[in-house]
Amino acid sequence: MEEFSGEEGSFNSEEASNSVKECIQSIIGEESYRQDTVNQWTAKIVEQALTLMVKQTKSYKYIVSCAVMQKSGAGLHTANSCYWDTVTDGSCTVKWENRTMYCVVSVFAVALTP
Amino acid sequence: MDEFQTGEETAFVVDEVSTIIKESVEGAIGGNAYQHSRVNQWTTNVVEQSLSQLSKLGKPFKYIVTCVIMQKNGAGLQTASSCFWDNTTDGSCTVRWGNKSMYCIVSVFGLAI
Repeated sequence: MEEFSGEEGSFNSEEASNSVKECIQSIIGEESYRQDTVNQWTAKIVEQALTLMVKQTKSYKYIVSCAVMQKSGAGLHTANSCYWDTVTDGSCTVKWENRTMYCVVSVFAVALTP
Repeated sequence: MDEFQTGEETAFVVDEVSTIIKESVEGAIGGNAYQHSRVNQWTTNVVEQSLSQLSKLGKPFKYIVTCVIMQKNGAGLQTASSCFWDNTTDGSCTVRWGNKSMYCIVSVFGLAI
């Protein structure tokens, strides 16, 4: 069960995660990896995800980053580290895949000082 | 709301950050070939070293560092990011590095406190 420490006191990473999954599904759910369109997809994903985050609450600064990789047997590793206020700030990372590609989206929310 | 002076000491200086990142990447994986068993440790080292050097700058910023390491075998990789922040004070910098067997892409986002 989720504990909410106030409306703007913390970042709800589960809700963000679900919104991002839906966003990815709607943009590349049925697609196969194509080099000529992949840049449009990543741009759409980050824009839409950012818009969704901002709609939920505006008292945060947001960073959304997305990587789409073709499935061809290569190894891919990602890591993030953050220097922030662990009480108010948060992040969530969503890993998604279909038959031809992987998609990793990370959302970082940094509280705005009032 | 407090206003910070946007002088040298309190701005996000892309060149300075870029140099720090390049050194961190070189130090962590320079001279190595892609190895599945070690790449986990490498990404961790890159982000930790970068972050520790950045925090030593002593500027009033929160930082987010992300690192992607990919084996070179012909696969396509595309990355994008979008940010909702204060354009006057915040900034980002992305460094692309590669050797014969792998690519390493590091992004740093600096958000003024």
